[in-house]
Amino acid sequence: MSIATVSRKQILNRVRAATRNSTAAEAASSYATLPRSYVGRGLMNLEECVDRMAERLREYDAEVVECAPNELAEAIRAQLAANGRRKFVVPEGLPAEWLAEGFEWKIDHDLPAQEVEQVEGVMTACFCGVAESGTIVLHHSTMEGRRVITLLPDWHLCILRASQIVETLPEYFVRCEKPPRLVTWISGPSATADIEMTRIKGVHGPRILNVILARDEGSES
Amino acid sequence: MSAGAEHPILDPALAPPFPVAALSVLRNPQLRKNVAHAIDVIQAKRARLVAEKADWQELRTAAAAIRDHVLENLGAYLEQFEERCTAAGGVVHWAADAAEARRIILELLREDKADEVIKIKTMTSAEIQLNPFLEAAGVLTYETDLAEIILQLGEGEPSHIVVPALHVNRSQVREIFARRMGIENLADDPKVLTAAARNYLRRKFLEVPTAISGANFLIAETGAVAVVESEGNGRMCLTLPRTMITLAGIEKVLPRFADLEVMLQVLARSATGERMNPYTSLWTGVTPGDGPQKFHVVLLDNGRSSILKGKTERQTLRCIRCAACMNTCPVYRQTGGHAYGSVYPGPIGAILTPQLMQMQHAQSLPFASSLCGACYEVCPVKINIPEVLIDLRAQVTDKQRNTFGRLFDPMYLGMRVANVVFSRAWLFHAAQWMGRIGLRFFTRRDGWIHSLPSMGRKWTQTRDMRGLPKQTFHAWWDERSKEAR
Amino acid sequence: MRASLFITCYNDTLFPETGRAVVSLLERLGVEVEFRARQTCCGQMHANTGFRGEAFSQAKRFVRLYADAETVVTPSSSCVAMIRDQYPGLFEELGDEALRREFTAVLPRVYELSEFLIDRLGVEDVGAYFPHRVTYHASCHGLRALHLGERPFRLLAKVRGLELVPLENLDRCCGFGGTFSVKNGEVSSAMLTVKLEDVLATRAEFCTALDNSCLMHLGGAMHRQYAGMKTIHMAQILASTQVHPAEVLG
Repeated sequence: MSIATVSRKQILNRVRAATRNSTAAEAASSYATLPRSYVGRGLMNLEECVDRMAERLREYDAEVVECAPNELAEAIRAQLAANGRRKFVVPEGLPAEWLAEGFEWKIDHDLPAQEVEQVEGVMTACFCGVAESGTIVLHHSTMEGRRVITLLPDWHLCILRASQIVETLPEYFVRCEKPPRLVTWISGPSATADIEMTRIKGVHGPRILNVILARDEGSES
Repeated sequence: MSAGAEHPILDPALAPPFPVAALSVLRNPQLRKNVAHAIDVIQAKRARLVAEKADWQELRTAAAAIRDHVLENLGAYLEQFEERCTAAGGVVHWAADAAEARRIILELLREDKADEVIKIKTMTSAEIQLNPFLEAAGVLTYETDLAEIILQLGEGEPSHIVVPALHVNRSQVREIFARRMGIENLADDPKVLTAAARNYLRRKFLEVPTAISGANFLIAETGAVAVVESEGNGRMCLTLPRTMITLAGIEKVLPRFADLEVMLQVLARSATGERMNPYTSLWTGVTPGDGPQKFHVVLLDNGRSSILKGKTERQTLRCIRCAACMNTCPVYRQTGGHAYGSVYPGPIGAILTPQLMQMQHAQSLPFASSLCGACYEVCPVKINIPEVLIDLRAQVTDKQRNTFGRLFDPMYLGMRVANVVFSRAWLFHAAQWMGRIGLRFFTRRDGWIHSLPSMGRKWTQTRDMRGLPKQTFHAWWDERSKEAR
Repeated sequence: MRASLFITCYNDTLFPETGRAVVSLLERLGVEVEFRARQTCCGQMHANTGFRGEAFSQAKRFVRLYADAETVVTPSSSCVAMIRDQYPGLFEELGDEALRREFTAVLPRVYELSEFLIDRLGVEDVGAYFPHRVTYHASCHGLRALHLGERPFRLLAKVRGLELVPLENLDRCCGFGGTFSVKNGEVSSAMLTVKLEDVLATRAEFCTALDNSCLMHLGGAMHRQYAGMKTIHMAQILASTQVHPAEVLG
């Protein structure tokens, strides 16, 4: 339903009078001819992409630990043990073997924000990693969870498989079969340079990011 | 938060002309130092990252083409956005001007029984002067972006569209926070100050159920909204509250989700000199169980549709608010943003502000430029700002032609006379001769002029000028030709 | 090779020595120089100050005057930028198709001085001698509108005796900007101060450029401040030889 129909009509009339006054089909037709000579697919092979991704993540002060795909559960347990936290929130769809023994796991069945605030960390998978910019992409599926759980806790453990890594941002868009409904692109911890251009990390959102990179390059994602 | 206060400094209808406003800034060494330092940092970071991007020019070409294409087909894309956003559970409103946008937003807040709102930084809301309006209506507004908090608590005005408080230094921030947050023994270390802001806001994020945001991009294909940020306050505001109201200029549309592959690459590098900013969020309408369950988009015209009309002017609307232009502008470097008397300062502000005002106000802004072209060189969407500036200067001058006051404007008269003089060689030569005679009075024995009257005073207040040589070039040529014969 | 010299209104009036140098230089290189007496101005000052209609009439005069010239050479990048960047739009707006075609035919024959030397004559070493420490200021029009690039440097590199000192922040505007220097005199002066810091830091004897507009602005401040440096248009450096050293004024 459209609101404020008088203004709506006025604005659209003004816009159409000032422009081509095209239909959606006409727009789509000229859209197809727009120049796109920028880099689409990168030149790096997967091995190089994985290395670049790890390098970029470390530039962001993220701790990156690599493991073989069959060692993932153990790598997770080791990471959790190493950092001294006990209470975590996780999305509903994580494999059971990831939820290591000896820690308190709150599965996010629509937890109220106040409860999510109480945990010490969160663990999720992700949709994709973009090596050029060190970006982790969350589509908030059942393995990535609702947006609040990767926002309120101070520590985020993200499980990234090598086969999920691409070099360039355009390659990520190719990976999306259709536009996702919710996306969060994370490239480093939150930061501000608002005071004298001094970069301060960790304003709102997790201050610490740990990534376990499961090297499943051999398999298709 | 000053109830009912307008923003006279940044209201283009009330702000002093640029040359006057600039004067007070030029006498403020602290502010000039803060501005120069800030933009030198961002400029250097931007330059480094652009140099490493082999396809930078191709990205600019694509970005400009996508934006032009959107503007040329804006009606279709706006309707598509509205349809898809509505289908996804959002409600789309249309505001013809600032007053209507404010009214719509207040009505939505009343519907929600909201007496406070948290805000993600958006220059669009400053453009429509939303905060004072809401405050006067009894709604408390809480800015959540660090720079905006500094300005809100310190009752200051933004001077830059990406780093709005760049004119404020750390000890000034310390003073504001200590006083307004009631913190004793607060150090002026940016880390400490940022932590103070983080604590101050945490409760607000969790408790205030209504949020207002802007939008970096609206995706027509899906009805989605994208917000690009660094701090995470955006994510807080668009995830935790019950109701989200997004205010966006009608020009913010992109055709498809995949077009973000171009825009995100050029935006981060241009705005903050990063390969990608820390957080970019995209949401589509309402998603049950995740985020606000009530979502409104207020589409704002406020003069944009008239900018669309102009063949040269339309490119103004390509702008993606990266601020690379003001970071590179040698004029902005000396004056900072407040001198422009608008929430949109710098080169983009010099063309956008007067046009949003239908050329009724901010008429000095198109002249606030030496036309050096550095802005055009860095603009990720290739807005030829000098070209638009020159065009707007012609519009302002054409207005002046019909006024009585033009007869008292030495610049106007000088230009009219000069045009006549240039129309005939003999008039030109006669004028040169008269000029030489006339300026003899002002020419000292060393052949230089140290002081001139009227407009000339603006030159000679800091520069000498060589006295007119006895023989012009053309006279020398004539003489030489005669001698040759 | 015939070159028709478009001296520009301000060079004719204020910097005739630059014109003399261009003539001397081009004749030395075997170019036949002509000077059309009816020339006045390209219209840039009017166009950039908002007096578009007035600029039209000057543009028309220019095109009519040079319609049959073999080449037009101008010692001023900003004027060439006006002709290259703004004249097309002006003539399109005027709607006179014949005149627009005449303009389109003339345009490729219009050269800024360094372009003429390097691109048209194919020459870098013009046989110049100027034994001084010099820094080069890249005027904005030359840099960004004409994309002169390396040309001025290549020419200066071949001047015997010349010691070229690089200028920091080379691409930063000096603050002249035409009528901006008067309409926004204070900001222009602030930009000038910043630029002058970099120029004076080179400890050069001369600051040179391809535009007397910037040099008038920089040189005017140098003179006011007894800065111990002078400005000189590059044409005068290039025309300078041991037998006929450059005219240095002020």
